[in-house]
Amino acid sequence: MAHLLTPGPAAMAKLMIRMRLTLMRNSLGGDDAANLYTGVSVGLILAAGTIAVAVLWPAYLPLALAGWLSGWIFGPILIGGGNETLRPEYFAMLPATPRRTAAALLAGAFAGPAPAANLIALLSLPVYGWRHGPAGVLIGLVAAVITLITMVMISRVVVALIGLFVRSRATAATVGVATGTAIALCSNGWAPVAALGGDTAAWSHHLVRALPSGWGVAAIEAPWPLALAILAANAGLIALLLASWASLLSRRVVSAARGGVPPRRGAPRPLPTAGGARVSAAKELRAWWRDLVRIQLLGTAFSFALVFPFLLVTLDAWIMVPFTGLIAIVMAAASSANLYGADGTALWLTLMTPGAERADVRGRQLAWFLIVGPAAIALSLAGTLVSGELWAWPWVLGLLPALLGGGAGLIVLLAVTSLVPGTDPHKRGGNPLSTGASETAETSLAYLVLIAVPSIALPTAGAILLNPWAGVATGVLTGALSAWGLGRIAYRRLENHGTELLNLMKHGPAPQADKPTTADLPVVHRIGVTVCYLTAWLPLFPQGVVPLFMKIFGISDPSWFLALHLPPIWQWPTIIFMIATGVLMYGYAILIPMRLNSPSSATTR
Amino acid sequence: MPTHREPALRTIGFRKAFGDHVAVDDIHLTVPAGSFYGLVGPNGAGKTTTLAMAVGLLRPDAGSAEIFGVDVWRDTVQAKGLIGVLPDGNAMPERLTGREVLTYLGLLRGIPHDTVAERTDELLQVLELDTAERTLVIEYSTGMRKKIGLAVALLHAPRLLVLDEPFEAVDPVSAATIRTILRRFTGGGSVIISSHVMALVEQLCDHVGVISDGRVVAAGPLADVRGAGTLEDAFVDLVGARTGGTEGLAWLTS
Repeated sequence: MAHLLTPGPAAMAKLMIRMRLTLMRNSLGGDDAANLYTGVSVGLILAAGTIAVAVLWPAYLPLALAGWLSGWIFGPILIGGGNETLRPEYFAMLPATPRRTAAALLAGAFAGPAPAANLIALLSLPVYGWRHGPAGVLIGLVAAVITLITMVMISRVVVALIGLFVRSRATAATVGVATGTAIALCSNGWAPVAALGGDTAAWSHHLVRALPSGWGVAAIEAPWPLALAILAANAGLIALLLASWASLLSRRVVSAARGGVPPRRGAPRPLPTAGGARVSAAKELRAWWRDLVRIQLLGTAFSFALVFPFLLVTLDAWIMVPFTGLIAIVMAAASSANLYGADGTALWLTLMTPGAERADVRGRQLAWFLIVGPAAIALSLAGTLVSGELWAWPWVLGLLPALLGGGAGLIVLLAVTSLVPGTDPHKRGGNPLSTGASETAETSLAYLVLIAVPSIALPTAGAILLNPWAGVATGVLTGALSAWGLGRIAYRRLENHGTELLNLMKHGPAPQADKPTTADLPVVHRIGVTVCYLTAWLPLFPQGVVPLFMKIFGISDPSWFLALHLPPIWQWPTIIFMIATGVLMYGYAILIPMRLNSPSSATTR
Repeated sequence: MPTHREPALRTIGFRKAFGDHVAVDDIHLTVPAGSFYGLVGPNGAGKTTTLAMAVGLLRPDAGSAEIFGVDVWRDTVQAKGLIGVLPDGNAMPERLTGREVLTYLGLLRGIPHDTVAERTDELLQVLELDTAERTLVIEYSTGMRKKIGLAVALLHAPRLLVLDEPFEAVDPVSAATIRTILRRFTGGGSVIISSHVMALVEQLCDHVGVISDGRVVAAGPLADVRGAGTLEDAFVDLVGARTGGTEGLAWLTS
């Protein structure tokens, strides 16, 4: 006799929470645990910051909460589909309605550090409500809970929509473009805001309250009846989101997972009748064209590169426009950082084919060059022409080959030295944008590329400052040498350590009891390292390098560059201080974990 | 069997530990040239680990392997030219079609283009993969994945085939085709398969090796290993199996 009774909604929710917590506890080994602590610390700092905003600068509270909302929307896209500890597929055979399963899964989704940190941040609402009396505090408390549920629900629905509808190149590229635009807005979004009259304007006041993140603030500020109406509307939105999430989930469970493969028409064109690197490149080009993850990442890279400089144009600053192509190269390199990890254990074929390691590495370089190169060159030439910034020509012509060659060299080198193991493509779940790799590790690899590729071009930049045309020659030489040399190191390493890489992908990193990992860093250092990674760009680039160039080229618009607001005598020292601060922060973030991993420290521990 | 020929595969003292777990412990195997060798053992006995180390896909902690006298870890390139491998559960270039996979790997091995095209056509046809011309490998069923893996292993006409669980998830008709291909192959080449289907090994192989808990418990010509009974009886005896399933679970029929 089969057991037909399923537990009630509350019991099911409780079981999901327990399951999620058990899964979390079981995966808390080594780096994961340390990453969790770091994430929690950063989340708590941000939450405390949000409460501080409510106390000190209440006018900016809706903006800060909008920041949390955008984190919930774009965070999961950036890290490949969001947390899927509890996959809906696990529960497909439970005899329960989709809505009940969805509600229980949602309960499980709250049993994590991110919603907890967000809840603390939302306590800023009752704090803000205090200004409006006890009623304000009460509304604030209710609004905090409702807003948290809304944000988590929106995040879930976005992930579910992506999982279900990103099935073609067009939709994958659209998600990529939206992500790239959002990142660009986060870094340069202040420019159009300033151009439109700044945060004093009425439209921005209304906009941040119209977003679901600002409804709580709107309710606190509104008279009683309207406040209740807003909260009721919010509860209605939650019901709507839950219903659509439930239907999306049940559709996802019955739609066959296709591993992020776009639909095709007609028989594929035959491979070229070549051997070695050329046939490898042909294979790799097909992989780029037939993989939605790669198409989405390229969309992100190129849309960021296009939007970022043009946001400054709203202030009539064309200074960044010539560098559109260069930004595209660096971003595209960062999104191609885990080439071997993304292919999974397919590496065994390269290892079993005599002499294929070299062909494979060179082929991947060639394919990357063919995909990124022409677009980057066209963007660079067009950007420099359109901007009319004549001084930019030697910079663009020198840095372009240096970055292209450096990128083509570094991506294959890091792909074999810093591989992040993921799930084999044919075993991935219903989320087409997830590679199953550790998101933290993939993100730090991308950060490494973002720093390493521009560093390769530093000698070229120095040469350009000395003599523009010598700089162009240096750039060409740097690019050619990097692509050739770093590629050579990469295939040599693949020849000698290929089996280790294969088994890293098959079984994950081997546990080495005596070898300290970054997980062993004291928590204070871990937080310090994370904070430095996240913020060091601020003093280094926008407050250091950019005003440096503006001074060199005599551009006087100070906008938000601190140094240019100061009396002339203080400008150079400030710029140097800012660059030094940024470099020191990156140095600390990179060197501290390295020192811990070195053998000498292992013996002294 | 001519005694002057080098064995197709010889492993000497293989040992491999994953953390505290010793998966393979001092394995010595000799696969005579021209033989059809069956490697059998219970789940987790170390068959896959042994085969991966034998072909150069997993570095052993100790021990060495020779293929027709060529050391796998010293003369890697030469050894790899002699063998065709079907590992269990590894990925392929997933975003290529079956035809593209074979063409790509053939050209990468330096086989002339016409030969590659000819062999690809024949392999796809014989293994009945030619109807899936537009299907990427990532969309293949488990059985189709096995078949394209076998085609990859055969493509360069190796002298030794090393196949890990070649019949798993393959339908009976395709299995019969594969059996026929493998029997033809042993006319000039040697084959090692791993399996836990005793009847199949008994029917195909002339030599067997039995592995249990990472050690060889019996090896040699099939007739010697199975003695008077069936291979299954000998296997149960050798690995000391306890057949469970009769206790507990009373609620299933209540």
